[in-house]
Amino acid sequence: MFDEEGYRKLFVEESRENHENIVNNLLALENGEDQHTAIDEIFRSAHTLKGMSASMGFDAMEHLCHSMEDVFSLIRSGQRGVTASLTDLLLTCTDAIEGMLDTIEAGGTPSDEQSGSLVQELRAFTEEESPDEPTVSHDAPSPEPAGKADGRPVYTLTIAIDPSSTMKDIRAMLLLQNLQEIGTILSTNPMQELLEDGKFDGPFEILIESEAGEDALRTVASGTEISLLDLSVPQSPQAIFPEASEEAQTPEPDLEPEAAVPSPQAQRVAKSEKSREIKNIRVDIQRLDRMMNLVEDLVINRGRLELIAKKHGIKEFDEALSMVGRSVSDLQNLMMGIRMMPLERIFNRLPRVVRDVANHDGKEVEFTVEGGETELDRSMMDGLSDPLLHIIRNAVNHGIETPEIREACGKPPKGSLRLTARRDKDNVIIEIEDDGAGIDPERLRKKAVSKGLMTPEAAANATKDDLVSLLFEPGFSTAETITDISGRGVGLDVVKKTIASLKGTIKIETEVGRGTKFELVLPPTMAIIDVMMVHINGMRCAIPVSNVVEVAQTRPEAIHRIGNSEAILLRDQTLPLHRLEDMFGRTEKSDTLVVLQNDGRRCCISVDTVDGQQEVVVKPLSRIAGNCRGISGITIPGDGDVVPVLDVNTMI
Amino acid sequence: MGRILIVDDTMFMRTLLKNILFSGGHDIVGEAADGAEALAKYRELKPDLVTMDVVMPNVNGIEALKAIKAADPAAKVIMCTAVGQEQMVKLAVKSGARGYIVKPFQAPKVLEEVKNVLSA
Repeated sequence: MFDEEGYRKLFVEESRENHENIVNNLLALENGEDQHTAIDEIFRSAHTLKGMSASMGFDAMEHLCHSMEDVFSLIRSGQRGVTASLTDLLLTCTDAIEGMLDTIEAGGTPSDEQSGSLVQELRAFTEEESPDEPTVSHDAPSPEPAGKADGRPVYTLTIAIDPSSTMKDIRAMLLLQNLQEIGTILSTNPMQELLEDGKFDGPFEILIESEAGEDALRTVASGTEISLLDLSVPQSPQAIFPEASEEAQTPEPDLEPEAAVPSPQAQRVAKSEKSREIKNIRVDIQRLDRMMNLVEDLVINRGRLELIAKKHGIKEFDEALSMVGRSVSDLQNLMMGIRMMPLERIFNRLPRVVRDVANHDGKEVEFTVEGGETELDRSMMDGLSDPLLHIIRNAVNHGIETPEIREACGKPPKGSLRLTARRDKDNVIIEIEDDGAGIDPERLRKKAVSKGLMTPEAAANATKDDLVSLLFEPGFSTAETITDISGRGVGLDVVKKTIASLKGTIKIETEVGRGTKFELVLPPTMAIIDVMMVHINGMRCAIPVSNVVEVAQTRPEAIHRIGNSEAILLRDQTLPLHRLEDMFGRTEKSDTLVVLQNDGRRCCISVDTVDGQQEVVVKPLSRIAGNCRGISGITIPGDGDVVPVLDVNTMI
Repeated sequence: MGRILIVDDTMFMRTLLKNILFSGGHDIVGEAADGAEALAKYRELKPDLVTMDVVMPNVNGIEALKAIKAADPAAKVIMCTAVGQEQMVKLAVKSGARGYIVKPFQAPKVLEEVKNVLSA
């Protein structure tokens, strides 16, 4: 049942996750975060990749991963340090792996050319006697390499933090910090980063090596809002890391990743992974879509059943049907929830981008990401990725100045770039804020005139907001020269269009010398929207609430004919009036008007009645229906009726 | 019981905290309204513990904390914070803060944290 294609798909999917894990941990390592965990994670992922690619017969990839694993087993055992040039080399390796995965995904087999001389370079590193470059040093107390067991006792602490704690992440951080003072934390479950981000529920475990004794540990591990649930009998480190150094020297060329004997440490990580994985299973996105379609079919058929039930009036049948109805609604809500994904999925690749652009431009950037757990419909993720990438690249490329300029301006040499996401009522808000040079409105003013977008008079009178909004005009870019990073022919106009296609908006705030902030406001999902239900000529129709300005009553004499079309004067504003006759036929009752807007422009339509507002699932039109102008899709509200959704964009 | 220095830019919060700490039997040896004053008072009074507001004009709580820790690495400083300042508090913890209390203050929690940090 599982053919070659199935394996290939799974292989690519899991390899990409491991690839991403290596990249992220390399960056974490470079930033001086917990070395121990990062090195373990990289080793584990390289090992997994090696095993999997060997199983699939992708020799070129196996060789490359094998060499990376060799390098990391030396680092792990403390025989080599992590240098800046090694990080670069390893990142180049991950690029090669990514290229190979692309090849594999396209049905090909990676070749040795794709890894070039990387394997030799890695080998040179493992064979070299001693590193002559200074290793990247970190101020944070870094745990000793696991292989160096020096006989200190190791304890497992099981800790619970009071659920009523206001900042449990900081509580956990304080605890870890205090424990570091009397010992060396070998590992935590969940990982330290997760603990420090508050991403844990219930008790967690800390494996600590300490000579301070049980009592000291008990004191430190039971502070405010912290309780020590369990403290295990001390074990000698050897019991936990048997033959660690031996294992490091003889990495096994395993064919089955599962059958591979990973190092004891990797086993430990794998164990903690395993306990997490039981709760999560992998589902193909297409299957999810099919499930969603089936649920919608259920909704439609429930509506039909209800009609039949009404005809016959059987009480028991009605009762059973209402139970089914409730389950169907619950199922529909559940499916919507499953479609949501944390933004982390696309945020994760950004630190690498920032690093590369900053290195390329000789800039120093501190990149912080917050709110990665905020959820968005997965169908919107792909669309959002490129605009974000563009804005982030722009911020480093054009926003943040070089350290010299920054110092001359009295700013810290290291620029700051913040990416934050949060849920605000019905929207997801993503902000990208830098403390760079900002955008000079005067330069925009000159450019607007020279590009012929504004007359000199208009430009002279333009407000800062007017000028900044010019950035979204096609072909308008403030950069004097096109760089190979930001200037790829894609401008902010494309970014704005893409965000608009996701039903979102984008806004820029900028202050010369202080920095620039982009604000993206997006609906969390496009599949469910709030619509106003109306009747036009006796037929039902849905209008997205985001397009509705107001509902107004009018008298027939307020409608004026202008040439072939009609218009109405509403509070000193002349609005074109559309009757949508070719869609719904002429309606005689035209005293109720709905004023619509899209991108700042308005018009109105006449309707018979306004029935109310409701959340609905919008389905795209099937290809058989062809391209219907004016209709963006159809929706099936609870009663099983099929209702068209107006595409206001094409009407204005 | 400890000798405590309270640092906060508002008299309101200082008074509130003073009353809570008094009720717990602590000695309030001094008060400071900003970070610069905090360092001077710390040097002068050598308190057992400092409660430090995070957001203050001129020299903020984080900078004051760093200055105090530089003058006395063994200094025990508790940050006074509010929901939404998690990132700042994390920075403070990395800079050597020993604990934190969250506004609006709950007397038992404040006293528990002060006691734990003093006895550590």
